[in-house]
Amino acid sequence: MAASQSILGRAGIVLALVVFVFAATGPIVWLLLSSVLQQQALTSIPPDLSPSSFTLANYLEVFSSAAQLGRAIINSLIVATFTTALAIILGAPAAYALARLEIKHAGTILLMVLAAQMFPAIVIAIPLFITASKLGLIDTKLLLILVYLSFNLPIVIWVLRGFFMGLPLGLERAARVDGASPLQTFLRIVLPISLPSLFAAAIFAFIEAWNEFFFALIMTRQTAQTVPLAISAFAGQYQTMFGQMMAAAAISVAPIILLTILLRNTILRGFADGMLKG
Amino acid sequence: MAEATRALPLGTGHRTRHARVAPLFLAPALIVLALLLAYPVLYSIWLSLTDASLSAGQLDTPFSGLDNYRQLIGDKSVSAALLNTLYFTVVEVIGVVVLGLLTALLLNHPMASWSGFRVFLLLPWAIAPVANAVLWKWIYHSNYGILNSLLLQLGLIDQNVTWLGDPFRALNMVLLVDIWKSTPFIAILFLAALQNIPKTLYRAARVDGASTFEAFRFITLPSLNTAIAIAVILQTIWSLRVFDLIFVLTKGGPADGTVVMNFLAYRVTFNFLKFGYGAALANVIFLASLLLSIIYVRLMNPGAPRGR
Repeated sequence: MAASQSILGRAGIVLALVVFVFAATGPIVWLLLSSVLQQQALTSIPPDLSPSSFTLANYLEVFSSAAQLGRAIINSLIVATFTTALAIILGAPAAYALARLEIKHAGTILLMVLAAQMFPAIVIAIPLFITASKLGLIDTKLLLILVYLSFNLPIVIWVLRGFFMGLPLGLERAARVDGASPLQTFLRIVLPISLPSLFAAAIFAFIEAWNEFFFALIMTRQTAQTVPLAISAFAGQYQTMFGQMMAAAAISVAPIILLTILLRNTILRGFADGMLKG
Repeated sequence: MAEATRALPLGTGHRTRHARVAPLFLAPALIVLALLLAYPVLYSIWLSLTDASLSAGQLDTPFSGLDNYRQLIGDKSVSAALLNTLYFTVVEVIGVVVLGLLTALLLNHPMASWSGFRVFLLLPWAIAPVANAVLWKWIYHSNYGILNSLLLQLGLIDQNVTWLGDPFRALNMVLLVDIWKSTPFIAILFLAALQNIPKTLYRAARVDGASTFEAFRFITLPSLNTAIAIAVILQTIWSLRVFDLIFVLTKGGPADGTVVMNFLAYRVTFNFLKFGYGAALANVIFLASLLLSIIYVRLMNPGAPRGR
């Protein structure tokens, strides 16, 4: 450790940190900058960053010129909210059972839940598309809500199981001694003290659903289009209006970035640990 | 805290009652997962044994045995996609694991303890994949892209480069974005693992006169063995899945230079409407992912006592 205390070592660390900050944030800073610059400023070489080039017009134009973005935001909110709620309602009891109750073949079930998170989307997309076509569900929000459970439910079960295992046993034992059934213990004791964890898992599921593109591309046409589809359509349609393209991207990214910053500690500790340990 | 016991230790009378209740907690979730994962996989296996194709809105599924798999072997577009996938995966895994490890070591240094650095680390991971792809399409733009402007100003190039214009270069530029986006999560994984190494080991090593490098070589690296193995497996699985980026940046072009297996299966199925052949391709990807998942699960050893 002696080398890191030397001036040269310290300078090296500072330089590395500067490179790191530039690499991690540079592209995103450019996204935000581009979204508030006029087209003329963006197509100058090098880009014209003088104060007079800045504008909020891109954001206004994105909403007025592309009605589908407004509808896509509403669709995305509905799909992400309902799929998250279902994932928590179905996943929390399952996670509790796997964490605390006696279950036959618990190990096998756990392995399947873990493996389910690794499923390549394409292998289930083809059969689900055919089935949904037969049922007339293509281009409906309901279909996306159900299909998104395929990746959100395993994640929620896995994350919540980790949280439940970390709870102290004392309260549950006391409840059992008082004659509470497992269901009563779960509903009255475990859930109330797990609200922050449930919230964190819900946010995680919400982000996954909000960002999803592949299934949405295959399963929707017009009416059920979600934000990622609207953004990608934008990139094709307004190829030359770079500021608007970036404004649309910024709108889709902003809520996620805010949630990530708010939840950074949960993400850094909870999720990384969950991927390393069973 | 020792939490080796998963079930609450209770009297036998209670246990029988719980054995009846526990499946009710689990059943709804398992039924939904069976419908959304198990059923489609079985369906996909059957589809791949047929010559299913969509014509005039009708799906015909004449049984064709292993024809699709036989056709796969001689198909030039498949071998090209396979080669692209192999190159993409190998470079991405090496790049992400090496950069992730370096980033984690940097952020684990006492001078990088400001929590803002960790927030910066999360940003590329948090940005939505499609918004990210659109952003890089703009960064790579051949006339007005910031990459060309920067490199011109630094004197590293003397004229604009069409970054996505040449097949192999386009593949590498897509790789660059995916490495940038994937490194943070792996770095977070390594950071968590680094923080689990007991500090006393380093103190003892210093007392014994070990250099910084020796401490890294004989304490840090061996302690990260499992984390590195997990990172390699997870990143391999994720690299096989890349889709959004290719769809927005190149649509598989130029000259199919960025068509990977996943994208080929999508195109064969949903553009060419050959569902049987597409399912066969998808099943090959599934099989590869499944084998990798089994290795990952072995490394994780879930259900084992958590040593904390």
